[in-house]
Formats: sequence, C-alpha cells, structure tokens
Amino acid sequence: MEGILSPAESAALKELFEKKLNGVMRMYLDTCARCGICVESCHVYASMPEVKYTAVGRAEVVRKIFRRYFRMQGRFAPWLGEVLEFDEATLNAVYDAAFSCTGCRRCMVHCPFGIDTQQVMAIAKALLIGADREPKVLSMLADMSIAKGEGIEETRADYAQALKNLEGEVKAIWPVPEGTSAIPYEAKEADVLYVALAGSHSIVSAAAIMNAAGEKWTLSSFEAVNFATFVGDSGKAKRVAQRIIDEATRLGVKEVAVVECGTAFRYLRHMIGPQKFRVVAFVELIDRYIREDRIRLDKSRLPESVTYHDPCQIARNSGIMEEPRRILRAISDRFVELRPNREENWCCGGGGGLVAMGELDFRMKSSRVKADQLKASGAQIVTTACENCHSQLSDLNEHYGLGMRVEFLSHLVAKALVLPGERFRR
Amino acid sequence: MADYETKKTLDYKGLKCPMPIVKISQELPKVGIGDIVEVLTTDPGSLSDFPAWAKTTGNQVVETRQEPGLIKIYVKRLK
Ligand code: SF4
Ligand code: SF4
Repeated sequence: MEGILSPAESAALKELFEKKLNGVMRMYLDTCARCGICVESCHVYASMPEVKYTAVGRAEVVRKIFRRYFRMQGRFAPWLGEVLEFDEATLNAVYDAAFSCTGCRRCMVHCPFGIDTQQVMAIAKALLIGADREPKVLSMLADMSIAKGEGIEETRADYAQALKNLEGEVKAIWPVPEGTSAIPYEAKEADVLYVALAGSHSIVSAAAIMNAAGEKWTLSSFEAVNFATFVGDSGKAKRVAQRIIDEATRLGVKEVAVVECGTAFRYLRHMIGPQKFRVVAFVELIDRYIREDRIRLDKSRLPESVTYHDPCQIARNSGIMEEPRRILRAISDRFVELRPNREENWCCGGGGGLVAMGELDFRMKSSRVKADQLKASGAQIVTTACENCHSQLSDLNEHYGLGMRVEFLSHLVAKALVLPGERFRR
Repeated sequence: MADYETKKTLDYKGLKCPMPIVKISQELPKVGIGDIVEVLTTDPGSLSDFPAWAKTTGNQVVETRQEPGLIKIYVKRLK
C-alpha cells in the first residue's frame, strides 16, 4: 500500500531512534507535562499561530513515535491513539517539525523541566537522514567542507595568492609596516587562529582589528561554519570540525577565534571536547582588545542610533551577552536595546539551516514577530555577530520595509579604529 | 591559459556564506553537459570551495584566474 514503509525500513528507523535514546533524551520524551508554557516562546508560533509550530507540538511528533515503538501501550495497544507509525505521513510531519525549528532554544528557557526541543529534533533529523529525506543542500555543503579538508594541499597556493591580493583592502583600514603581511597565513608562532567564512567581508575587518591590536594571528584555510550540524549528522559534523582542530594543533596556537557565526562558534566552543587551545568568539576578542586598551575607537564615526540582535547561539546558548554591549558602548552614544533582549531575545528566524535552504516565504512569515521587534526599537542600524542572522535580518529589512541598515558588529568596530596620533572622541 | 567558450557568466561577487556554493549547485544543471560557466567572485575561500564542491558532485573546475579584487573560476558540467 502506498505510504507504508517496508518492515525492514521501519526496523532501520526504529534502530536509529534507539541510538539517540540516552537518559536525558528519555527524560525529555517522558516528562513533558503539556503545560503549554513553551507555546508563546517560539517565534514561529508567535508569528504563525498553528499548534504544529509550538515547541510542544513539534516534540509531540517524536513522542508519538517513541510511544509507538518504545512504550508498552504503544507496542501492544496502538489503537488507543497518541502514537505514530513510520509511514509517509509521519515522515512528512517529522520533516515539518524538524525544519521549521531554528534550534534557537528559547522554549527551553521557559520550560519548567528544561526540555530542549532542539535536542528532541535531533531524533527527527536522524530519522530523516535514515529515510534519505534530509535537505540535500545542507548535506551537499557538509560534503563540500569534508572534501575541502581532504584536498587542501592542492589549493593552498591559490588561496595564499588570493589572500595577498586582498591585503590592500586591509591596509586601507589599518596600515602595516613594510614587509609585514596584513593577512598572515600559515604563520609560525601565531597565538590566534582566526577562522573566517566564505566571503572576503569575513576577513578584511577582522584582519584590520587584529593588526591594530598587535595580535599574533594567522588565518585558517577553512570556513568555520558546520552545515552538518544543521542536517543533524553528528559523524559528518565531527569531520568538518576536525579540519580546524588539526590545523590549530599543527600550528600550535593558544586560541581559535571564530568569525561572527553562531553555529560555528557553538559547535567549536561546546562540542569538540578538551583541546590544547581555547575557542573564543570574535566579539570576545574585540571586547578584550578594548578592555586592555589595545585598540582605540572613535565614537563620532557612528552618528546613527544602533540596536543589537543577540544571535541565539552566541547569547542564549553560549552566554556571550555583555561583551557585544561593551563594544557598542565604545563605538556609539546612541545604542538602544531590543525588547526583549539577551537570553529572551526573539530568534531572527533564519537558523537551523533555513537561510541556506532558501525558504524565503516561510522565513519571512515565521519571523513577523522579529520584524515588529526591530521596528519598535526605532533604531537606524541593527548590528549582530552572526552571518546567518545578518542574512536573515537583511531579508526581513527588505521584506517588511523596515528602512534599517544591517551591519556586522566587527565592521562597525573596524570603521571606528583610531590610528596612532589621530584625534578621536571616546 | 586557455580561452573557453563559456555558456554563462555568474556574478557571485560579495555574496555571503554559503551562497556561492548554493548558487553554483543551482545554476550548473541549467547548462548542457560538457558546457563551461565562468564564475566571478571576491571570496578567497572559493578557490578551495569550488574544487571541493566539484569533486563531491562529479563536476570539474578547469581553471582559476586571479587579479587584485577579482577571482574567476571556470566550472565544467560533467554530470
Ligand atoms: S528551539 Fe526555537 S524554533 Fe525550535 S521550538 Fe524552541 S523556540 Fe521554537
Ligand atoms: S513548557 Fe516544557 S513541560 Fe510545558 S509543554 Fe512545553 S515542553 Fe512540555
């Protein structure tokens, strides 16, 4: 019959589910009281009020499969309801649940039991990989990253040449002495390995700031972002991250500084286990340079009012909330908060791989609440410390006609750098 | 340095992550098998990203060229 999976296919999916069932996951699946506190927490539901877009509604899809295959009642009396069998309709519901969740974990902040819906969605994503239904664009990007790691020696010289060609843009912001590289690459005795992204915008401003601070740094060969984490493929995610771990270890750096990218930072900071180096977000590094008086910033260069969007993976999920605010107060007299903010901030709506997947219509509809929040701030500029958020905020700005400017925090800092001897306003 | 008959020029200058690779994966299937497209970019990482992407998708980067402020990548559709 159409829509029914074969016994072998169902058994394979059940086995995948079982592999994810550790103690914490069983707690998440068993303890939900259906109190509904998380309902209003999710930006998707707040923007598109349908039960399937609540945190509990999403998790319920996975719970119903759990009850069917791992609980007595579901195994022996599935007709009692509240269960789902593996079939086409179930897999469609699993997909909708998993890929309408950005993994922002705002729901978890409010849940009295601390249920992590993003983790529950990890089961959904594992099932989709098992059923060959994961978003192919995300797998493709993860595979590209792994192949890049394997073939890096073949393209190293071309990359080094491209960095040389880019040095002029860095020197235009912050000159370096003759014979010194403005974008050090494969530098011996570097203290910091800076890991950027696709795009020179993720290199130029950061390079100028580190040069201004007199940092001993070197640029990574790899992009920081890890698309395998969006797919939910933990094996591939490890291989993508291993490229950077091996590079940092080979170069003997003390710190790996991660570009403005929330996903990349969260994975490298929290998921790779103890290493010989520390992992810092680039905003932490900028904040340190300001506190140690290693860079000076001119407030007069940013006359517009500016607000800050806390990226979920940097703020709520990593605790980096005061650093960007200290930086903003060093470059602006007109910083205004979004409300709510910090760990309560609304997700931009572009996380979980949605920006790479396209999904423009869903991203715009599911983030109406974010657009409203930005508008209410009255700020002329919204700045953030995450590439993915920047892309989504730019799309929201255009779609909702907000008339704001979207800026990376590092770019604002680079524009405010004061050269030795220059007059400036603190 | 060969001259290619390119079917299309794709301007990816200034795109944010991961759009260069997302876009080439959407655009290359639109030309015929054996055809070559020219990609213009400003992203140093593309010099490693495009060959890696081509390897995983069974296509080919036939050449890359560089000048200050511009990178050109010639990608041949093989599949
Ligand atoms: S993690 Fe975020 S997007 Fe997912 S259910 Fe919770 S609040 Fe909604
Ligand atoms: S807040 Fe927690 S316990 Fe209450 S419905 Fe949501 S997930 Fe369940």
